Amino acid sequence: MEILKVENLTFSYPLCNRPALNDVSFTVQKGEFIALCGTTGGGKTTLLRLLKKEIAPLGDLSGNIYFNGANLNDLSAAQSAGKIGFVMQNPEQQIVTDKVWHELAFGLENLNLPREVIARKIAEISAFFGIEDWFDKKVSELSGGQKQLLNLAAVTVMEPEILILDEPTAQLDPVAAADFIAAIKKLNRELSLTVIIAEHRLEEIIPLCDKLLILENGAPMFFDLPRKAASAVKNTPEVLNFMPSAVRLFAAVGEGEECPLDVCEGREYLQNNFKNDLKTIEQTPYTHNQNPALEFVNVCFRYDKNLPDVLSDLTFTVYKNEIFCIVGGNGSGKTTMLSVAANIEKPYCGTVKVFGKKLKEYKNQSLYKECLSMLPQDVQTVFLKNTVEEELDGFVPPYDMQDLYGKHPYDLSGGQQQLLALAKVLATKPKLLLLDEPTKGLDANAKLRLIQILKDLKADGVTVVLVTHDIEFAALCADRCAMLFRGEIVSCDIPRNFFSSNSIYTTAAHRITRGYFDNAITVEDAAELCLKNGRRCGKDR
Amino acid sequence: MKGFKDHNPIAVTVYFLAVAGIAMFNMNVVIFTSLLAGSLILFFIYYRTKSAKTHLFSVVFFITMAILNPVFSHNGVTVLFVMNNNPVTLEAILYGCFTATVIIAVLYCFRCFSQIMTSDKLLYIFGALSPKTALILSMSLRYVPLFGGQIEKINKAQKALGAYKDDNILDTLKTGLRISSITITWAIENGITTADSMTARGYGSGKRSRFSVFRFCAGDFLLIGIISLLTIVTLFGIKDMKYVYYPAIVPPKTTLFGVVGYIAYALLVLLPVIYHIKEAVLWKYLRSKI
Repeated sequence: MEILKVENLTFSYPLCNRPALNDVSFTVQKGEFIALCGTTGGGKTTLLRLLKKEIAPLGDLSGNIYFNGANLNDLSAAQSAGKIGFVMQNPEQQIVTDKVWHELAFGLENLNLPREVIARKIAEISAFFGIEDWFDKKVSELSGGQKQLLNLAAVTVMEPEILILDEPTAQLDPVAAADFIAAIKKLNRELSLTVIIAEHRLEEIIPLCDKLLILENGAPMFFDLPRKAASAVKNTPEVLNFMPSAVRLFAAVGEGEECPLDVCEGREYLQNNFKNDLKTIEQTPYTHNQNPALEFVNVCFRYDKNLPDVLSDLTFTVYKNEIFCIVGGNGSGKTTMLSVAANIEKPYCGTVKVFGKKLKEYKNQSLYKECLSMLPQDVQTVFLKNTVEEELDGFVPPYDMQDLYGKHPYDLSGGQQQLLALAKVLATKPKLLLLDEPTKGLDANAKLRLIQILKDLKADGVTVVLVTHDIEFAALCADRCAMLFRGEIVSCDIPRNFFSSNSIYTTAAHRITRGYFDNAITVEDAAELCLKNGRRCGKDR
Repeated sequence: MKGFKDHNPIAVTVYFLAVAGIAMFNMNVVIFTSLLAGSLILFFIYYRTKSAKTHLFSVVFFITMAILNPVFSHNGVTVLFVMNNNPVTLEAILYGCFTATVIIAVLYCFRCFSQIMTSDKLLYIFGALSPKTALILSMSLRYVPLFGGQIEKINKAQKALGAYKDDNILDTLKTGLRISSITITWAIENGITTADSMTARGYGSGKRSRFSVFRFCAGDFLLIGIISLLTIVTLFGIKDMKYVYYPAIVPPKTTLFGVVGYIAYALLVLLPVIYHIKEAVLWKYLRSKI
């Protein structure tokens, strides 16, 4: 039975000559899990918001949306609020009240339900999502992942028939994102709730979804089973970049077989179809500059006397003109390490040297003058002015931002904000650039662009130290990688050795090839080895 | 089994209103001494021995008031000595001590109150008066710390970007202004998303109901009953509790109503402590049966 039907939907924003959505038609069956993907500015958010009439954008709209056979506009306010659930990107801003239980009750209060009913529904949903432990807590005490899970629970408690999610995991770290996606999967499988989810992070979503909808410039270019997507997007690199590693590998070397979707299927596909006589990729030896740019020697730091050490005896050296990536889980001290390097937090013992000079010796803010600069995790904190042009203040970044000059920094997309913030950081002409989670909220194409920018900066003689959760990104851009765990560096090497010696904390491409090839850590590596080895003959299989 | 602080917030509020109300309109030494004693015991139950600062403040405050009052007030018949041609009287000193006791007693009383009445309980009380106010309060309780946190974050980010170029006050001030202005923009931007999230969940679609985790049960009625009874008994004795401080200290005549009133008030003040002991004993008893 179809729950949602979109017919010839065309939409344009006021004062825009190009429509944001162009003749979009599709139907969704009850209980289906639909993944929506596409490039930034491709109309994903516009489409999703049009499906929820309370927050639909204003503009010229033609075409029809039917929900359970009735036109969306004919739904009563209470029906529309309850039956269609919507979860947005930013976990913090969606929360209305200060207590977890009150947030869960908020939607039900709006529907004017009696106390007993609310109490029962809240109890049910808390048990389902396992949030009894933090039921009495203040919202401000929750982690980002818990906040987003609370948002999901607060919407689900209203018992929607369809759940719409607009990039819900973009602001979460990988572990929290996986938990969140698992919760959605549970809702879909156990309650047969219909789900439409827009995502950048398709590695986990694609193996779960029933259908994949790809929007390109406001028009649907693909709407079918995800297995068929590889051949459809093979020649559109901007879209192919979003796909999981297994699909990208298949797109590079596959020939008409069934497309693998996740790591498990990818391994099977690889071993059934390709030989592995040649196992290793030639590695040009890496030599770094001998002059250190950033040195940590036995640095210890804690936020409070009674709290445990965040950094304990941290010792490492970053050499001039390299891109140094520090990966690690939540709470491993990554951000704290950067704050200490930028002299924002002061360690209680140990020394930090920047270009051979102790931090203490940089007097009168001279550390921040053409020497060191840091891009914080929340890039919105970098902006102080009302337009991009004022923000740049005459500085011309090494990439084009001209057409955004008139806009307010807050109106830019996540990727554009990242670029603007980076430009502002570069305007101080740093020789040592510190980046905190630069890929947060970026889609695959924006990440590739960022990698190019960082490599260009390196060519100009800038040293880059970045901390990230995103191991795929680290594998692509780093000269050397280090893993931080409980405030200590536990391993440090060039990416190829670093990721191929890790067996769990490593890239999807390496997990696909591990044990079969020796040191393929990116999809490109894997594809190269596949092509060099050639296919198995029929009898080898 | 409920401790005093687990009762319905309305009952707890009624209790504190009764205790503070009687003390406020009745400047009586016995009343205040019992309030101070009761609040102190309760304070130790809730805070244990952690609040050395509060006690130090009380002592310093008490001594300061006892010294300062006779310096400014020269009322009273018993002159102890003359300082700079001004008489220092016993009544003024005693009155100073007394006022200090009043203030310290109320201070401890309210520290206990704030320990019991967390923000969500206060909201529940306000919500009973007006649901809209309660929602606005709940949202502000969330937003004010969020706003402060964002200012802190922006400040750190700007520092690492070298926003405070020179160590001069003018530059620091200018950057500070910029930061507060952009934080307001940020708050408004934030507000739009929050508003979307609210309408998406049906806010404004009609009448709202109100949910809270607090229930009103028999124990709460019992507590309110006890409070009312003790309050009424105290009020009956109140006309026999009038103290006169100036020019000479004249205590009221001891009457039956007065004494019963004192006892009732003392019981009222000690009520949370009694509940606490009852709870502890009952728990021991139940445990011994298990």
